Amino acid sequence: MKTITNILLVALAFTFTACDQQPAQIHVREGIGSDTLGSNIVTRPVAHAFSALIGERIEIDEAILAKNDTGFLELNINGHNRSYNTKRFRYKIEWLDANGLMIQTKTSTWLPQSAMGKSSFSIKAVAPRVEAVQFRMDTKKWE
Amino acid sequence: MRTKIIITLAGLLLAGCAQETVNIDVVNDEGKAVMELDYRDFAQAASEMIQSMISSGTLKKSGGGRYVMTTGRVTNDTMQRIDTDQLMAKIEEELMNSGQVVMTSAVGGKGAPDEMIYEMRDIRDSATGDEFKQETLAGKKTLIAPELSIAGKILQRNIRYDRNTQQVEYYFQLMITDLTTGLRFWQKESIIGKRGDDRSVAW
Repeated sequence: MKTITNILLVALAFTFTACDQQPAQIHVREGIGSDTLGSNIVTRPVAHAFSALIGERIEIDEAILAKNDTGFLELNINGHNRSYNTKRFRYKIEWLDANGLMIQTKTSTWLPQSAMGKSSFSIKAVAPRVEAVQFRMDTKKWE
Repeated sequence: MRTKIIITLAGLLLAGCAQETVNIDVVNDEGKAVMELDYRDFAQAASEMIQSMISSGTLKKSGGGRYVMTTGRVTNDTMQRIDTDQLMAKIEEELMNSGQVVMTSAVGGKGAPDEMIYEMRDIRDSATGDEFKQETLAGKKTLIAPELSIAGKILQRNIRYDRNTQQVEYYFQLMITDLTTGLRFWQKESIIGKRGDDRSVAW
């Protein structure tokens, strides 16, 4: 009996591993693609509860800064939502000059952002002054 | 005596119920969203528009220098009484601060933003003009015509979402046109949607 259970578990693991082999650029959502441990009707409640228990939420992977053709600093932030639920939040980007002083601009306001469960997202921003050389970003809950 | 006590107690009770007036923290406003357009919505729309304009490269003048721009007609097609300058003042300010654009106060969609330009010329051409040093008065053919115009509209759609909920959609649409050729260089639409109690009136 124990052997049969072990074989079933290994087979199940192989099945889920095989399903996960898709290009990283393409995200096939729950209910559309083949089942994974997180989307399977049996294991889903456990996976979702575990995700909530360990507090999986938004994570930022990288922030890329580059000057565009017109000489303005462009920021591209890539992140992903680790949780199974859509996360909505607001962010504010402030631009700093070479002396680290904040540049007053109307674009530095709280803007909405939304990331679906287990999905990646990007935030793009442009400094409206050529003096900007650095940035800082803050986030808050969507009211 | 008893009447006085009752009146005093009633007064205190009413005073306790009155909503206290507080200043809004406009930098980090934690207040609830409202069905009408409020200053946060204008700030969001303006920020999106400015960033789009700047990142598009439309305002980079070939050969250097700054474009002369005017604000054309920005129509309020919502059910609310809105002064479209709430949106445009922010955009104009940032475009000028970006160093790519200089706005003209001589012409605009609502007439000249600064009537003094023409009032001073009227004075120059009148008898009162003799009271001024002639070299300090603006000469003829000194105004610079705008090269670009920014125009657009704000519109609203009210939709019944379900029995108790209404959905209000606000569309901010702006475009930049080259006044010499009539060609449109840039255009953007920014949408703000709200869903709330059907009894909330969005006008």
